[in-house]
Amino acid sequence: MNSKNTNGTGSFWQRLRRPSTHYGALTLLVLGVVAGVLFWGGFHTVVEATNTEAFCIGCHEMRLNVYAEYQKTIHYNNRTGVRATCPDCHVPREWGPKMIRKIQASRELYGKLVGTIDTREKFEAKRLQLAEREWARMKANDSLECRNCHSLVSMDSEKQKPRAKKSHELAAKNNDTCIVCHKGIAHHKPAGMKEDE
Amino acid sequence: MNNMNLSMIFAAATAMSIAAGSVHAAAPDWGKVPAKAITVFYPGVSPLEWVTKGAEHGGARAMRKGESCASCHHDEAADMGKKIATGQKIEPKPIKGKAGSIPVNVQAAHDGANLYLRFSWKQPAGGADKMDKDNAVKLAFMLEDNKIPGANLSGCWEACHNDARTMPDAKDDKKTKYVKDGNLGSGVYYDLVQWTAKGAKFDGHVADKRVMEGGKALIEAKGEKKGDEWVVTFTRKLTGGEGDIALASGKTYNFGFAIHDDHTAGRFHHVSLGYTLGIDAKADISATKQ
Repeated sequence: MNSKNTNGTGSFWQRLRRPSTHYGALTLLVLGVVAGVLFWGGFHTVVEATNTEAFCIGCHEMRLNVYAEYQKTIHYNNRTGVRATCPDCHVPREWGPKMIRKIQASRELYGKLVGTIDTREKFEAKRLQLAEREWARMKANDSLECRNCHSLVSMDSEKQKPRAKKSHELAAKNNDTCIVCHKGIAHHKPAGMKEDE
Repeated sequence: MNNMNLSMIFAAATAMSIAAGSVHAAAPDWGKVPAKAITVFYPGVSPLEWVTKGAEHGGARAMRKGESCASCHHDEAADMGKKIATGQKIEPKPIKGKAGSIPVNVQAAHDGANLYLRFSWKQPAGGADKMDKDNAVKLAFMLEDNKIPGANLSGCWEACHNDARTMPDAKDDKKTKYVKDGNLGSGVYYDLVQWTAKGAKFDGHVADKRVMEGGKALIEAKGEKKGDEWVVTFTRKLTGGEGDIALASGKTYNFGFAIHDDHTAGRFHHVSLGYTLGIDAKADISATKQ
């Protein structure tokens, strides 16, 4: 053991800690930066790949249920051609909250493996629970994803229908957040929804 | 001729007209009475239980804050009716070709003794199976004296429930309109007046149940179709008996009306949102003295 340590080979960890005798600091720096860029870029490429509609509807659970419903709504098809896809509403844009959401969402992989909602019937049976979880998340973050595109202050209420105008005035007055009223706008409302608190 | 003399003559004339009662009730010159345009719409299955449930009807939240149905929906009644009549929303049994809405002109006036109401509208397309073979059209209005909680916001809806006949959840085909905790004696009721195309008139009320008789205020209900336009007029004493809301100058009352178009019955009517009728008072529809 001692002979190994003194002849310059040592354990892997010791070799990493020892200053290099072969490579210049600049070489190591450049290599480090390149490796870092490749690692970080690779990581984000993977994260972004999971942040696309194509990834979301890669599973039939999403494609045949919530995606099919969303295709009939204004967030999918509208006059101006602006589309909000799955992650626009369900994944925060900011890095920190996004990473937290991704870690939380990893449990869906387990659900996929054991087939928690792999039939229409199973999905419908769980729809309320899934929806309530998402509503609670959006309420807790003050409808963060909605506010990526919409905000009360940038609305021209004069161009809104009377009922929308009234409701938005009330929401501003009561400090309500978007999801309090706008449930079931992209997917069907679950049966058995509880009354507002 | 000074103002005093004029008012004395007017008062005497009014007294005479009251004494003469129904016989000399003279309809006003409708050409001079301003008309309020109100669109009645097909409501599908939207009983009070649906209206007040936020999970079903987003406006329930606004109602709890004191907003009336009309304050949000007055301008879009035709759009709502179209969506409902075609089965896009809250109508499990759409009737083919059913008109989504009917724009109606409503006029009101009084002469110190009687209230005069006039409704006119163009007959929309129809031709569905006849539920009421006898009557091509029926028109009813309801008045409420700010005693039923919520009637100032929802109009007639406080009487519309999910267990009434023809509603999908109804179990009793005799059950019609009723007011929760309705009580004729304590004034918690709607005054209900109806005209039918066959020529009948009803003066009743809706308290804990609907009663189509007993009122003493209604003098006359007339209707006719000229070309494709219906004109229905009512003459009603300002005050009647039990089940008749007493109307007084300077006051406003909750008001709503419905048309059973194209031989329909039960819930398959076109309804107005809740409005106010004022007697010499500012309201959605003001009946001023003629």
